[in-house]
Amino acid sequence: MPAIQDIPDTVFEDTITRAVQEVFSTMLSQPARYVPLKGTHEENALNLEHPHVVGTVGFIGAINGLIYLYLDVGFAQTCAGNLLGMSPAELEELGDEAVNDAIGELTNMTVGTFKNQLSDKGFPCRLTIPSILRGSRFRIEPISSATRRIYRFDIGGHNLTADLLMQPGE
Amino acid sequence: MRYKILSVDDSKTVRIIIKKAFKNYDCDILEAGNGVEGLALAAKEPPDVILLDVTMPVMDGVEMLTKLKSDPALKTIPVVMLTAEGGKDNVLKIAKIGVRDYIVKPFKEDLLVQKVGRIIDLKPITDAPAKGKSIFDPANILVVEDKPAILAQIQDGLKHTPWQVQGVATTGEAIDHCGRNAVDLILISLSLPDDAAFTLFRVLRTNLKTKYTPIFGLVVKTDATAQQQAQQVGFTGIATKPLDLPELEAKIARAMNLDTSERYFRIEGDLFVMRLPEACTPSVLNEVGTYLKTKVSDAVDSGIGKAVFDLHDVKRLDMPLIKVLLTAMQTCREVALQYTLVGAGPIVAECRGYEDTRGWQFHDNIEAARQSLLQKAGALATPVAAGE
Repeated sequence: MPAIQDIPDTVFEDTITRAVQEVFSTMLSQPARYVPLKGTHEENALNLEHPHVVGTVGFIGAINGLIYLYLDVGFAQTCAGNLLGMSPAELEELGDEAVNDAIGELTNMTVGTFKNQLSDKGFPCRLTIPSILRGSRFRIEPISSATRRIYRFDIGGHNLTADLLMQPGE
Repeated sequence: MRYKILSVDDSKTVRIIIKKAFKNYDCDILEAGNGVEGLALAAKEPPDVILLDVTMPVMDGVEMLTKLKSDPALKTIPVVMLTAEGGKDNVLKIAKIGVRDYIVKPFKEDLLVQKVGRIIDLKPITDAPAKGKSIFDPANILVVEDKPAILAQIQDGLKHTPWQVQGVATTGEAIDHCGRNAVDLILISLSLPDDAAFTLFRVLRTNLKTKYTPIFGLVVKTDATAQQQAQQVGFTGIATKPLDLPELEAKIARAMNLDTSERYFRIEGDLFVMRLPEACTPSVLNEVGTYLKTKVSDAVDSGIGKAVFDLHDVKRLDMPLIKVLLTAMQTCREVALQYTLVGAGPIVAECRGYEDTRGWQFHDNIEAARQSLLQKAGALATPVAAGE
C-alpha cells in the first residue's frame, strides 16, 4: 500500500470527479463538469462572498480525511428540492433543516463513493456522520500535517467546490 | 394485505426519497432514525422488509442487523442494506451477518423498488379495484410483432378507441419500451423467432412494472401447440389470426378490467338511455346484461324517473336481444321506472313478427320518446290528483 503522499494527484482528481458525477447524475439527473483550477484561482475558490451551505463528511481508516462540499444557498435549495421532489414553496415550508439534511445526504453519498473507490484501491476506511455549516466570509484552515486539494465543478451553471483534507491513517 | 417497509436511516432526506419511490405501490413506509428506534419499531410492528443504513448515530446499522439476527422473533425479516458504505470488504463483512440485498448510495428509485419487489409482492396502487377505468379512458397497448401488416391491422381496427397502440419488432425493443413507458396491455406474437415470445413473457413477469400487466399471445388459429404453451406459462389470453378485431377489443377491455357500461348506458338530461349498437353480438348482450340492474338502480338513485331503450342503430332482432330487452323492461317495472322505445326501419317491422314484441311502440327519436313519457306521466298524474 503506497503512502498517501506517493499517490499521484490525478488519482484523487479522478476519484472525486467520478464521485461527484455519479451522485449528481444518479440522484438529480444533472451532469457535473470538472473545471480545473490553478494557482490563485484555487485559493479564491474558497472565498465565500455569498451565503453558502457546506456539507462535510469524514472518513477514517488507512487514510483519514474530511471532504467539504460548498454550494451557494440558492443552488443548495435547488438541489434539495430536486432530491426531495418538492416545489420551492413546499421546501420553504419545511425550512432550512430540510435543505441542510439534503445537502448532508448528497455529501454523504459523494464522500461514500469517493471513499469506496479508495477502499477498493487498498485504503479501507469508514464514513463518519455528515454535518453542515452555513454562512459566508469564513475560511476552513487545515492542520499542518494534512494535505489539501480543491476541485471545482460546474453543475448546470452552478458552482460546486469540493475541498479534500487528508492525512495518513492507521 | 398491505405490506410494511421499515426504513432505518438517520437522514430524513433518504426516508422521504424512499416514501416517494414507493408512493405508487400498495405498501406502508415505517420510519426510524437509528438502530435503537429501528429495533423497537420492528418488534412493535413487524415489517415485511427493512431498508437499513450503516452509518447512524446512537446505534449503527451493523449493530442493529446483528441484534436483529439474534432475535428469534425478528431474524427472518429480510433486510436490504441501503448505504453509502460500499467497498468490497465492507459489503462482504455485512453480507456475512445476513442480508437479502445490498444497495450502495447513490441509488435510482427504480432500482430500489425493483429489489424490494423481488422480496415482497408489491402491487401498483392502480391495480386497486376502486380506481375502475372506463372504456373511454386512454390506455397504452404495446404490440410485439415482426410482421408490420398485423400491427397495421390492429392499429386500424382499434383506431376508434382512445387506446394508443404502439408496435415494436423485437424483444429487446419491447423491454426497452416497457422500461420507459407505462404499458397497460401487451400483445406478443408467438411466432417470433427462437421462442422469443416466451422468453420475453418471463422477463416481463419478473419486472415489477409489468408483473401484473395483461399479456396476450398472437397466434395463428391452427397453431394449437403454441396456444397450449402460452396458456401453460400464464399468458392472460390468446388472440388468434386472422384477427377478429371487435372480439380482440372486447378481450382487451375485459383484461384491462374496463368499465364498458358507458357504451350502452347513459344519463341524457332527465332520461336514462340504454343504447344498443348495430351488431348485438352475444358478448355485447352479455355486457349489457351484466350492467343492467346496477345501472337502472343507479339511475333511480340519482332521481331519474324515465328510461328509453334506443334501438335506432340495431339492424336485426333475434331471440337473445328480445330476452335482454324483456329483462330491461322487467327491471324498470320493478323500480317503477317508466320506459319507452326508440327505433326505426326494419327493426320496427321485425317486432311485428314475434309474439312478445308485437305490442311494442317505437318513437323516431329520443326527443319524441321524452315527450311521450312526459305525456304519459301527466295523464297518470291528473286523474289521481282529481280523484283525491
